[in-house]
Amino acid sequence: MSARAVILRVAALLLLVAFVTAPQLFAFAFAPLTANDAPAIYNQGSLLALTLSHVRIVVLATLASTVLAVTLGIFVTRPGGREFLPLSRSLVNIGQTFPPIAVLAIAVPLVGFGEKPTFIALFLYGLLPIFENTLAGLTDVSPRTLEAARGMGMNARQRLWQVELPLALPVILAGIRLSVIISLGTATIGSTVAAKGLGEVIIAGLQSNNVAFILQGGLVVALLAVLIHDGLGLAERATARRLGRPVDEIA
Amino acid sequence: MIEIEHLSKRFGESIVVDDVSFTVGEGEIAVVVGTSGAGKSTLLRMINRLVVPDAGRVLIDGQDTATIPEDELRHRIGYVIQGYGLFPHRTVAENIATVPRLLGWDRRRIAARVEELLDLFQLDPGEFAQKFPHQLSGGQQQRVGVARALAAKPALLLMDEPFGALDPVIRGKAQDDLLAIQRRLGTTIVLVTHDMNEAFHLGSRIAVMDQARLVQYAKPADLLTHPAEAFVEQLVGTAERPFRLLSLASVQDAMEPGSAEGDPITVSATLREALAQLIWRGRSALPVADAAGAPIGRISVDGILKHGRSLA
Ligand SMILES: Nc1ncnc2c1ncn2[C@@H]1O[C@H](COP(=O)(O)OP(=O)(O)OP(=O)(O)O)[C@@H](O)[C@H]1O
Ligand SMILES: [Mg+2]
Repeated sequence: MSARAVILRVAALLLLVAFVTAPQLFAFAFAPLTANDAPAIYNQGSLLALTLSHVRIVVLATLASTVLAVTLGIFVTRPGGREFLPLSRSLVNIGQTFPPIAVLAIAVPLVGFGEKPTFIALFLYGLLPIFENTLAGLTDVSPRTLEAARGMGMNARQRLWQVELPLALPVILAGIRLSVIISLGTATIGSTVAAKGLGEVIIAGLQSNNVAFILQGGLVVALLAVLIHDGLGLAERATARRLGRPVDEIA
Repeated sequence: MIEIEHLSKRFGESIVVDDVSFTVGEGEIAVVVGTSGAGKSTLLRMINRLVVPDAGRVLIDGQDTATIPEDELRHRIGYVIQGYGLFPHRTVAENIATVPRLLGWDRRRIAARVEELLDLFQLDPGEFAQKFPHQLSGGQQQRVGVARALAAKPALLLMDEPFGALDPVIRGKAQDDLLAIQRRLGTTIVLVTHDMNEAFHLGSRIAVMDQARLVQYAKPADLLTHPAEAFVEQLVGTAERPFRLLSLASVQDAMEPGSAEGDPITVSATLREALAQLIWRGRSALPVADAAGAPIGRISVDGILKHGRSLA
């Protein structure tokens, strides 16, 4: 990464931290966007608290998606699980194509308002990229490498943990990154069912017709997405470089 | 010693290995040759049970391999494939340590073994131990592949076209190194190749396969002088035959008493090398020296030709 890119990212991080901890400092920038003496800065709760719970639910949902999608990906690439591949693919695809807002509508009557329905929506929505990348990563391992592993007396478990997963890791990480980024944006709709998150800021802006609020919510989500995207990208590149792959192969 | 008894394998309708039997003595190198698709790799992979035979059995030092748990069997048999199959995410040292680690050797013993093997294969541990496979040349990867196969001191080594991807110069060197290491360790080797020169260079015995059958299993010279079928003759190359025979005999075999002018040839050189020298240097005879360089006789074009005719 070039020095300029590093500086840009550090600046984005500083901006994000400053904005969520002391938003009033930025009132001057948002004041021109308001009308009728409406507040320039979101004033119905702490931005910091909302940001943290937003990140928290995204992380929890992605962790859950990762556990299920990777497990499923491993299962359908084993000899005994291969016949379940089409089925698993369809299920995961439904999770992706079913609109999150519809998931919320269905989940609320079942589990009530709050974080739970949001978690379910994000969890389902995040499965596909991780599952597909796990499949791609595992099936991409060269047959020759696997033949060598078998020929040296590694059993199925040893081949999985010592050869297949380490080799698939960069691709799996890329799937996780994609899933996190999608969830960060999608999580804003959780506020429609009373989950704490940055969607509250945006919705408050929509209700009071306050563009400044909408922008603030959007800005924080966008900064989070950029920073998390880059952070995970670094981890991927580090693992890929170890494997001697060109870095852009996994971009 | 390894005894292959009536091994057969089919894949679907086609029979890929058909009732193959042969025995490889302790410390011998058996080279399996044959056309593409003849079943050579399948035969090799039945020895370490990567392919389970439909019929027949393999005995290693008298023990039926089917009675040994698969993984344990493979820990005891070194395996080298074309392209080497090095683990891309592991360093050279970690690659070599694969089987010792599976066997649960302690750290110090593994480190010592890795260093010993790197030395044996002329790879400076300081420079190479921490490199990744993609940072190595083809020849270096090849050596790491063989070192890895030898790590747990297997008595038997299986090699499937181990030099196939190397250029001719590096290949010749790799073959010589393998021979030297094999003599030192006394490892029994079964090696598959497409390259007849390689077969004659390395093999104590050569197994010729054609369309799933073992056509002939014999010492290299016998293959030349008593080919079992037209296919063997064709594979060996009739035009090449006398020269291959000469390359299997040493100067010792055709040395005459007396002396000659010129730089001496060593007594351990092959007759083919000696003849090449005689032709190239325009001489009808050259002196022969022993390993220490002392003159012990002479070798002549006439003598070599006479010897060659007696072999045919
Ligand atoms: N797992 C398998 N399933 C089905 N057919 C196979 C399998 N392995 C090998 N074969 C077939 O068996 C035949 C012999 O294959 P094998 O790899 O043993 O030949 P080979 O003598 O090693 O050939 P080459 O010199 O090209 O490596 C080929 O026709 C091949 O297609
Ligand atoms: Mg083959």
